[in-house]
Amino acid sequence: MSLKTFSHVAARSVANVFAPSVTNVVLRGGVGARRMSFALAALLLLSVAPIASAQQASSTMGQQFMSGTPGTYAIRNARIVTVSGADIENGTVVVRDGKINAVGTNVAVPAGAIEIDARGLSVYPGMIDLGTSMGLVEIPQGANPTVDVAEVGDMNPNAQAFYGINPHSAHVAVTRVNGVTSVLSSPSGGIISGQAAFINLLGSSPQEMSVERTAALVVNYPRAAGGGGFGGFFQQAQANPAEAATARDRQVEQLRKLLRDAEAYGRAMDAANSDRTVPRPDADVVLASLVPYVRGERPVVFRADRESEIRAIVRFSEELKLKPIILGGNDASKIAAFLKEKNVPVILGGLFDLPSREDDFYDVLYESAAKLQQAGVRFALSTGDQGAEVRDLPYRAGMAAAFGLSRADALKSVTLYPAQIMGVGDRLGSIEVGKIANLVITDGDLLEARTHIRHLFINGRQVPLNSRHTELYDQFKNRK
Amino acid sequence: MRKLITLFVSLAVLAPAWGVGSAARAQQSQRPREGAARGASNAAATETLIRNATVLTITRGTLANTDILIRNGKIAGVGQNLKASDRARVIDATGKYVMPGIVDAHSHSMSDAINEGTLSVTSMVRIRDMLNPTAPNLYRELAGGVTTLNVLHGSANTIGGQNTVVKIKYGRPVAEFIFPGAPPGIKFALGENVKRASSTVLPGQTRRYPATRMGQEEVLRDAFTRARNYKRAWDEHRAAVARNEKNLIAPRRDLQLEPLVEILEGKRFVHAHCYRADEIIMLLNLADEFGFKIRTLQHVLEGYKVAKEIAAHGAGASSFADSWGYKIEAYDAIPYNAAVMTRAGIIVSINSDSDERARRLNIDAAKMMKYGDLTEDEALRLITINPAIQLGIQERVGSIEVGKDADLAIWTAHPFSVYSRVETTFIDGDIFFDRQQDLARRPELQREREELLKAEVNRPPTEGGAQPGAPRRRPANHHDDDDVDNGEGDNHR
Amino acid sequence: MVASVASSPTSWVARAQRSAIDTYAITGARIVTVSGAEIARGTVVIRGGLIAAVGANVAAPSDARIIDGTGLTVYPGLIDANTNLGMPAATAPRPGGGGAAAFLAAQQQATPAVSSPNSSQPVGLQPEILASDVVRPGGEQIEAARNAGLTAALTAPREGIFMGQSAVINLAGETPQQMIVRSPVALHVGFTPLRTGTYPGSLLGVFAAIRQMLLDAGRYRDANAVYEKSPRGVRRPDQDKSLAALVPVLAREMPVVMYADRQREIERALDLAQEFNLRLVIAGGAESWRVAERLAAAKVPVLLSLNYPRRTTAETPEADPDPVRVLRERVDAPKTAGRLAAAGVRFAFQSGGLSNMNDYLANVSKSLDNGLARDEALRALTIRAAEILGVADQLGTIEVGKIANLTVTRGDLFARERRITHVFIDGRPVDLKPAPAPPAAGGTAAASGSTRASASGTWTLRVQVEGQPERSLTLTLQQETERLSGSIQGDFGSAQIANASVGASGDIKFTVPVTTGTQTTEATFNGTISGNEMRGTFTTVGSGAGTFNGTRAGSTTPQ
Repeated sequence: MSLKTFSHVAARSVANVFAPSVTNVVLRGGVGARRMSFALAALLLLSVAPIASAQQASSTMGQQFMSGTPGTYAIRNARIVTVSGADIENGTVVVRDGKINAVGTNVAVPAGAIEIDARGLSVYPGMIDLGTSMGLVEIPQGANPTVDVAEVGDMNPNAQAFYGINPHSAHVAVTRVNGVTSVLSSPSGGIISGQAAFINLLGSSPQEMSVERTAALVVNYPRAAGGGGFGGFFQQAQANPAEAATARDRQVEQLRKLLRDAEAYGRAMDAANSDRTVPRPDADVVLASLVPYVRGERPVVFRADRESEIRAIVRFSEELKLKPIILGGNDASKIAAFLKEKNVPVILGGLFDLPSREDDFYDVLYESAAKLQQAGVRFALSTGDQGAEVRDLPYRAGMAAAFGLSRADALKSVTLYPAQIMGVGDRLGSIEVGKIANLVITDGDLLEARTHIRHLFINGRQVPLNSRHTELYDQFKNRK
Repeated sequence: MRKLITLFVSLAVLAPAWGVGSAARAQQSQRPREGAARGASNAAATETLIRNATVLTITRGTLANTDILIRNGKIAGVGQNLKASDRARVIDATGKYVMPGIVDAHSHSMSDAINEGTLSVTSMVRIRDMLNPTAPNLYRELAGGVTTLNVLHGSANTIGGQNTVVKIKYGRPVAEFIFPGAPPGIKFALGENVKRASSTVLPGQTRRYPATRMGQEEVLRDAFTRARNYKRAWDEHRAAVARNEKNLIAPRRDLQLEPLVEILEGKRFVHAHCYRADEIIMLLNLADEFGFKIRTLQHVLEGYKVAKEIAAHGAGASSFADSWGYKIEAYDAIPYNAAVMTRAGIIVSINSDSDERARRLNIDAAKMMKYGDLTEDEALRLITINPAIQLGIQERVGSIEVGKDADLAIWTAHPFSVYSRVETTFIDGDIFFDRQQDLARRPELQREREELLKAEVNRPPTEGGAQPGAPRRRPANHHDDDDVDNGEGDNHR
Repeated sequence: MVASVASSPTSWVARAQRSAIDTYAITGARIVTVSGAEIARGTVVIRGGLIAAVGANVAAPSDARIIDGTGLTVYPGLIDANTNLGMPAATAPRPGGGGAAAFLAAQQQATPAVSSPNSSQPVGLQPEILASDVVRPGGEQIEAARNAGLTAALTAPREGIFMGQSAVINLAGETPQQMIVRSPVALHVGFTPLRTGTYPGSLLGVFAAIRQMLLDAGRYRDANAVYEKSPRGVRRPDQDKSLAALVPVLAREMPVVMYADRQREIERALDLAQEFNLRLVIAGGAESWRVAERLAAAKVPVLLSLNYPRRTTAETPEADPDPVRVLRERVDAPKTAGRLAAAGVRFAFQSGGLSNMNDYLANVSKSLDNGLARDEALRALTIRAAEILGVADQLGTIEVGKIANLTVTRGDLFARERRITHVFIDGRPVDLKPAPAPPAAGGTAAASGSTRASASGTWTLRVQVEGQPERSLTLTLQQETERLSGSIQGDFGSAQIANASVGASGDIKFTVPVTTGTQTTEATFNGTISGNEMRGTFTTVGSGAGTFNGTRAGSTTPQ
């Protein structure tokens, strides 16, 4: 985790060097190329669009191409991996008005529905990654103007990812065409980084993408413990022991004070609202933004990997009655019983990190998911990546399964579990009637790297399987 | 698990046969113990029979229910119902897969320093001088089925240092890591990293030349021109010696230019870090002009844009599976790169450039079946025989064939499956990683820790230990590595 | 007491010189000659700086000053086989003006510890530098060594790749000339990259630079041979004293001391020495036992450091536990000497930068508890050092005609309660002072009365990397003469500083490990202390550079 979050700092430090070339390069690889290849890609899709009923699909594809094609769909003859219940062989999923309208073997196909023959294919719920900064960072290194992930200063509860997410980031399409259809996108600066947005990876505006505009408060819990290095001026989030504890404690105190202020502010506002004799405090956007969090109405995502930090966060959250979620959590499996007891969920972001201590066993992070599962801790798997590699999410789940997690739980850890942790388990994460129709139709196991995705639905819209990558591929693959 | 690996060995043989355990044991302590290396080397004399596996030979297809006989570090047989001597270690691999050890054509593992970035031409520096055989990540790479690494200089300058190809013989003396007979090579670098390395200077100092891609071409041209002059001076001197001329003073031996002469003479491989199509073409043209070959283009993320030119030159391409967008020159990277280049007839490999990523190159290769629809065999080649060809070691590793080095790994499932896991990794017939041994040793390590903590020097002062001392004064010659490319430390893309 | 010595370091010598009587007899003592059998009760006679007689039946001359040795043991004077005693440290001029450029300019004008005029090579690659040219008598460190029973030492310049050529000095004498026993002794090679931003700036470059210079030296030798034979018609080779200094090294006339602790460092040194057929000596040698077989086969001796690794920071519940490797290293350190002896590797002890010289003999005693035989230990402190350093005819045993360096104890040298009662150097007794107690935790440090700038205390540093916001760090320093220890901390972590020193004019230098991901490099800080202010520049290999300035806590800044 910590490795990933660093890149923006490096980017910032060299940004001045690269500033002159940024415009140039973005133009070269960006807008122009994209526009041209859109046409190419559309042509190609027309000629290929294999198993789907091509005419119907193409007839609705036009200007709304990249924002997906709404409609009523019937995905037929599919193996349906509902995640929440048993797999359904040879079944049908009906998508209507953006929702899953029907699921089963004996489902009537509505009149006018676009039929997709999914014989030999499998339908999965779209995957969900809670550890991203999707849309906030385009090119982390050497292109600072494309980076909107960290605000100035330590306490920015009202910095909302929602206002920084670029819906047209190339990362969005690249990610969804690999089956990841929703993410939590979090800012990463300071101590209180801001508020994360829970989004679907489709839409022309943040509004269209948004599932929860302010889904969580994101906090880098002040840290002092570490392995003896000194990250100093070049790296955020490097940790260390002993003397730094005082500095850390001071920061924790700042955080505590701000949260207590918000709690008092909320009560004072309520009091003023219900009792005219009580003076109304001046409105304060910062404190106001914290009120739902200090009341435990919405979760606080704490980035932390080390055991001592996680313990401190849990204690801190108990004291302030917060609803904590641990993001990162490399040491979480060491204190699984504690996390179970405190009912604190973990977003494991470091499955592919190198073990941080030289005596760590080689598989300590590979097997952490299985250990959390065994202990009954609620958890989800995440890439912990800002954007470009979020599409690797399924392979992390696969690795967790190779090291002790059941395959069913591995799948849940990137679908239903993250949805539940974010409180949207009623809307996402499985194939159930009434849920948002985020569906991935594959020719094999969703988590396998060899598997091709054949169809993709987000918000009930059929989404073309195009991205910056397919466009460039189409442009050059037949160059003579 | 236990029933899957069975030892048909007498007690007397057990110790040397599994003596490699001492190498693996060393990982848990991350430090070879006294005698570990010696204990391990005995094992080379033994035989191993891997029975009834699915064997991904790479060059001869996939063989079901097949045995592999290993004798004296080499593959002695591949077939059914092979017989071994009764002293052999026998591993029942029913239901498992065996593939050649993965070859990572771009690594910076085990190097105490990675960049000599003060000059733009540092062909005189050698990674061979820097190898640290105790680096903990080596073991973690073995656990991912990797057996061979191309340890490269970083990308801070246009002409970097000399690389070293190693087998990950973790726990052995460093000399045993060196891949026997691997042709020598050198690192070049183009593009942003070279520019960036010249941007961090103390205020008031001049920037290192070059700061542009224009200058990078000039640095190469100048260096090879000087190398030609140098070669001529030596040729003339040798001629004069042959004529028995008196009072000759030999030209100065120049360690910077000697490797460049070797490049011109085709005796040293060039591994060139590059990204953009234009710089790839620049380098190929310049090499053509000076009459040498680029052995591999490293990263070469825009290789798909100029695949036919790369193929025409005859360069290999060693790329990431799907990393992209981490800097500007990587924004046009696409995961179809390997497929496009393969279709153009280029020898392509997938590398890690990262101690972390090296552990899952199997999955990176598997992705290539999706992006551009490479066949399974084509995808497997990307991390086995193709990188071996690129490094000139294909006669020894990269496929499972009789006579080749017994560098291979046993996987619990097809290595392209995300659900697979390495069970055992062999190099030259010896086991350097074995999951069951690793698991079995864990309690022992804990006991050792507890024992060590009882020593006075290890106890905190409050528990009767020694007072802490001042930090030890030593020459600060460790870890001068820095990669200017990116802040992730383990990654030098 | 300390103050008076510091201000007039040669007072005792002056007194000794005034005395015309330089004949001494230590009578009735146990005499451990090292060269021969131990004499249970005998007399050592010293005359004219040399050992004049030794034996059970030797009578004290009538003109001798008698020292009653009853209950005492006389040993050959102990030798510290590798030090920087008497070597100057780098000094920087006071920076003028403000801003990074001014600091940089100051750094570039900084006077290195030693440099060779008209050298063809940059500072750090000047093998022609002679310790004997720059050694300075007196000083607290030399005194501390004597108080610990040491009488002679190899001393070499502090820094560089080709650091210069060492000398064996006696640890007494008013002038360098009086101190020097033998010079030059060996070429010293450290592997520290140049920190000036010039080549070689990494360990990679260090090895290449060493190779190139050795090759150049060989060609220099050959070219000059041709030229001297017949200058006519031959282009005159450049005269180059840096290369000339390496010619005896290539001829194996001069040994090369390479600093190497880890197994791989030692192996690299062995490989390099083998490549150029050098006469190698390893200095440091913490893991030399792992390479013992090869060292023995190559007949490479080791100057083994007694600065055993210890816990360096106070543990907190939040700190990671020490890795097993580190725990093992601490336990293994005292075993090394015994293992070398068993493997037939010649070795001598050296202090290796010990901050508390009381540990010198205490750590030898630990090695006795860990498998080292007594007589081997004694040799490693005396005659082995003399042999390796080429002074075995002059030092290292109690034999007639040798230099009268003697260490006299009450109690056995290796016993916990032993006390050093007399030290003779060049035949004269040395005033002994109790060795200073280990530095107090709070670091009261700054030697009272010293003219040296005091660095001790807690400093608030403001650090600026170009293009980034200024950051505030806390630097805690403890000073012991010119040596500094301490820690630095900031928002993002903390670390022990290393390679720290403060010079007479207030120049301060230290390094800080910087961890980025899994890689560790270091930042080098160079600056100047003036009163309660500190300013300077720092560089981090590959990552950037910047400036810092700071104030000492508890001080009020003028202006």
